[in-house]
Amino acid sequence: MAKSDDGIHILQGLLVFGNVVIGTCGIALTAECIFFVSDPHGLYPLLEATENDDIYAAAWIGIFVGFALFALSILGIVGVIKSNRTLLLVYIILMLITYAFEMASCITAVTHRDFLTPNLFLKQMLERYQKSETVNNNDKWMTEGVTKTWDKLMLQNQCCGVLGPSDWQEYTSAFRIMHSDADFPWPRNCCVMDARGSPVNLDGCKLGVPGYYNSNGCYDAISGPMNTHAWGVAWFGFAILCWTFCVLLGTMFYWSRIEY
Amino acid sequence: TMLLLFLLLLATAHGLDKLPYKPTLASPTMGGLKTTSTFVLEQPRCVFTEAQANAVIWLVVAVPKAVAKFNNSVGPGTPERAFQRFPTSAPAYMTLNTTLLNYPCPKPPGEITVLRVGSETSCTRDEKRPTCNGPLPSPGPYRVKFLALEGSKPVAETGWSEPITLRTAQPPNSIPVMGRGHSAGMIALTSILSILFAILLAGLLAMLVFWGSDACGGSSTFNKPEAVTVRRYNTHHVHDQAAAQL
Repeated sequence: MAKSDDGIHILQGLLVFGNVVIGTCGIALTAECIFFVSDPHGLYPLLEATENDDIYAAAWIGIFVGFALFALSILGIVGVIKSNRTLLLVYIILMLITYAFEMASCITAVTHRDFLTPNLFLKQMLERYQKSETVNNNDKWMTEGVTKTWDKLMLQNQCCGVLGPSDWQEYTSAFRIMHSDADFPWPRNCCVMDARGSPVNLDGCKLGVPGYYNSNGCYDAISGPMNTHAWGVAWFGFAILCWTFCVLLGTMFYWSRIEY
Repeated sequence: TMLLLFLLLLATAHGLDKLPYKPTLASPTMGGLKTTSTFVLEQPRCVFTEAQANAVIWLVVAVPKAVAKFNNSVGPGTPERAFQRFPTSAPAYMTLNTTLLNYPCPKPPGEITVLRVGSETSCTRDEKRPTCNGPLPSPGPYRVKFLALEGSKPVAETGWSEPITLRTAQPPNSIPVMGRGHSAGMIALTSILSILFAILLAGLLAMLVFWGSDACGGSSTFNKPEAVTVRRYNTHHVHDQAAAQL
């Protein structure tokens, strides 16, 4: 009997340790998802305009799941130490519900990341950037968001277009309707700017002389943060769920060994 | 005397220098070399000589069909050479007039010496400016040459360039926004998580079944309040035996 007592104590210790890890990971997940939702790179308007901002929904779910994991881990520790069947049953059921939500968040994040291709952003940029005639309020809101985001992107990252300035030449666009090709082969923000925000050499920029205009595309500046966001939510959540799986299996085994 | 007169006439009529130069596009490193309505030519440096020092050098832009029967004597500014009527009623137009002073020879190394054809947007529809360097109305093709005029008399010309075709822009709805291609990572993540969740649900079900038939669980379960008493019994028993042997 002593040996099985020790075995049970070891299992108790492991479960408490497992729950501590779950609790801390839950806090970390909440913090990470709050960071992503706060949109430090200002790319949310681009996603909003694609009408597919599910990776943000996944991050929101992550915030609440992280908090729930923390609370449930405390419940789990108490339940294991007190060896209380009811508490542990409640713990297991609530954990399974949280597990289901986190699973949904991970799968959503990774699925919708695959949806964000360069062509998607190219089409959106061409159709919305500096679009002058908006149909309704929603359209106006999205257009303003896309225009401001692109202006900021091109200025801060010294880039032009999605794949390059030739995007503006290869395709017609809402921008082209309002600005003639001869005066604006590409938007002004594609020009290298001086400290006061005006082009260093406007003619050089229009000619496309290397050094006076930004010849690289902005896709890396968009996809980098979005990849980090989606994979951070999806794969960290996956790791937490794998660990939680082991802890839950252990808890179920422990539960079946308690007798009133 | 008639022969002499004829020869003199011939001499003046053939005062046109045909220079071997052909206008070319500028260096391809320029991003804006050809846009949908403009293009960039190299300046004709070291092409015209001192013989044309007093001439005005014009750029002629024409549709390829007008090259064969091009009449150098039709002056710039006439309706037949007006930019605003190009290419419908005027098969060619003349623009970018300047003198030899603006094309000094030799070309300083490292300097970008180009002419941007199509950069003046303000006079596109101004009929009072027939020599406007306006944006080209269609992708072309176009052929260009330089023509030096002294007054209204052509004195030198370069060859015609190769046909220059501008870019054509596609509409954005021709961009294929591909349907979601599922990456391997996504498939792995989804399947692994689903399997784990299924195992957990099965475990929960097994738990509830055991709870229902609780009488079965007997042999290796532990009892929390009695655990202490059992241990005490064991030590007592061993202690008794050891004492009995002594």
